[in-house]
Amino acid sequence: MAGIPSRLTVGLAQCDCRLGEVEANLERHLAWIERARRRDVDLLVFPELSLTGYRLLHLTPRVALAAGNAALDRLAAAAGAMVVVAGFVEEDRDGQLYNSAALLRHGQPAFVHRKLYLPTYGIFQEQRFLSAGRRLELAPLPWGRAGLLICEDLWHPELARSLALGGAKLLLVPSAAPGRIGGGEAPESAESWELLTRSAALLNTSWVVYCNRVGWEEGSFYSGGSHIVRPGGDLAARAPYLEEHLLVAELDLRDADRLRWKLPLLADDRSDIALPEASR
Amino acid sequence: MIRREQVAERLALNAPLAVAVLTDFIRDAVETSGTQGVVVGLSGGVDSALAAALAARALGPPRVHAFLLPYRSSHADSAADARTVAEQLGIEHRAIDISPMVDPYFALEIPENPDDPAGAAGRRGNKLARERMSILFDQAKKLGCLVLGTSNKTEILLGYSTVFGDNASSLNPLGDLYKQQVWRLAAHLDLPARVVAKKPTADLWPGQTDEDELGVTYAVADEVLYLLFDLGLRPAEVVERGYEEAAVRRIVQLEQANRYKRRLMLIARLSGSAINLDQEIPRD
Repeated sequence: MAGIPSRLTVGLAQCDCRLGEVEANLERHLAWIERARRRDVDLLVFPELSLTGYRLLHLTPRVALAAGNAALDRLAAAAGAMVVVAGFVEEDRDGQLYNSAALLRHGQPAFVHRKLYLPTYGIFQEQRFLSAGRRLELAPLPWGRAGLLICEDLWHPELARSLALGGAKLLLVPSAAPGRIGGGEAPESAESWELLTRSAALLNTSWVVYCNRVGWEEGSFYSGGSHIVRPGGDLAARAPYLEEHLLVAELDLRDADRLRWKLPLLADDRSDIALPEASR
Repeated sequence: MIRREQVAERLALNAPLAVAVLTDFIRDAVETSGTQGVVVGLSGGVDSALAAALAARALGPPRVHAFLLPYRSSHADSAADARTVAEQLGIEHRAIDISPMVDPYFALEIPENPDDPAGAAGRRGNKLARERMSILFDQAKKLGCLVLGTSNKTEILLGYSTVFGDNASSLNPLGDLYKQQVWRLAAHLDLPARVVAKKPTADLWPGQTDEDELGVTYAVADEVLYLLFDLGLRPAEVVERGYEEAAVRRIVQLEQANRYKRRLMLIARLSGSAINLDQEIPRD
């Protein structure tokens, strides 16, 4: 492990977004980056589609950004030495649109994940307006390789598993999860999410960093409650529900190694024998 | 599968959290629309009292403008209760008697008809509701405000409202709350006990009550609607759980017959880019 630092300060920008207003959102991102810089944040994660807002429907093509566009370049330049993950609608060279998250490093876009699972049920309509990504790759970070999954991607556990098997000790999950409430203490939606992130951290013996947004779109709210889960599933930190918040915490990726020495779930993995039907 | 005695528990709400979310909703809608606050019609009933209370918390009392809009046949208690609510919340309130606006139309078009009491009363009731809506939107324009809606989920699903009358608003914090949840939040916010406890009435004619008109109690309507609408049970499956068949049939019939009230703009589609059908543009 010589030469690769294992400790980093992570910041979660639990923000509201202006629907369809890239310029206004960009200005807000710049302010969040400054705020994070004052807290010595090394890695700042924004929610899903943070530059555009989530519920775009037929506005989707109007706010799409091609790779190498000015907005992402400006954001990257402002980030400087900080690593930043921000969400945007990506338009590829063929004109296809994706729900993407860009990783900005050394002042430029270094990696993009295109959301693989586009929820199209209940309140969600992503497949009507977006194409699904086709690749799962590890994101290069100064602290080693990490996984980047967008919201619904985490509900399909083979993706996190595959990233962990590939070497990720850290899973970053930007999200725009609509809130629901019932009789419980926390929003019901947040309870489901925490069950999911904690399971992912336990089963994959990895850190999980979940950044949700707040605010309202068309009468539906996002509940916030962004959080960080230690390898093994203990909650390390959580932002408040319903309000904007910069959550900052220090992570040591060696914690994942230490857990894996005791709990060799990944080393014992037998994905090769799973799902004979699917491999035909 | 869910049993009848479990339904009430499913309708439980964390009241402080619900209040936090709904006040945030009102604050966000007012801020993003660049308006000054809200106007709300206070009827003396629990729905408008709760909506006003949420708005007062969200925006501060000075940004909430209440209007009492009685007709000469309105029950005197309605205005008194509405005043009590406004005073408790510390919000400005103004009464405008709508009798001089609607009576000339009634004299011309809808005289009391002893042969058709229900039809005439229904038409007169609708006219009262639309007159109130018209005044609220005018006052909203004057004050630079939004009109706060007060219809709850039970009455929206049953269609117990006047199209473009009491169902018209700029934003509605109560539209996803069943009536029992409205009562619970109202009690949580310490609204006057009289207002929370009294029999719900549209007060469109003397002696009217919601439950008489609907033919079911809110307690049953809320639970049956929850099973049908939220959980997707079939009517027969609801009856199997011990609800009276006639009540379930009545609720199903009302819900189906009134769906049009929940999707008000019916546009004939000619092009491939019809508003709301082909081109779904978010309003925010």
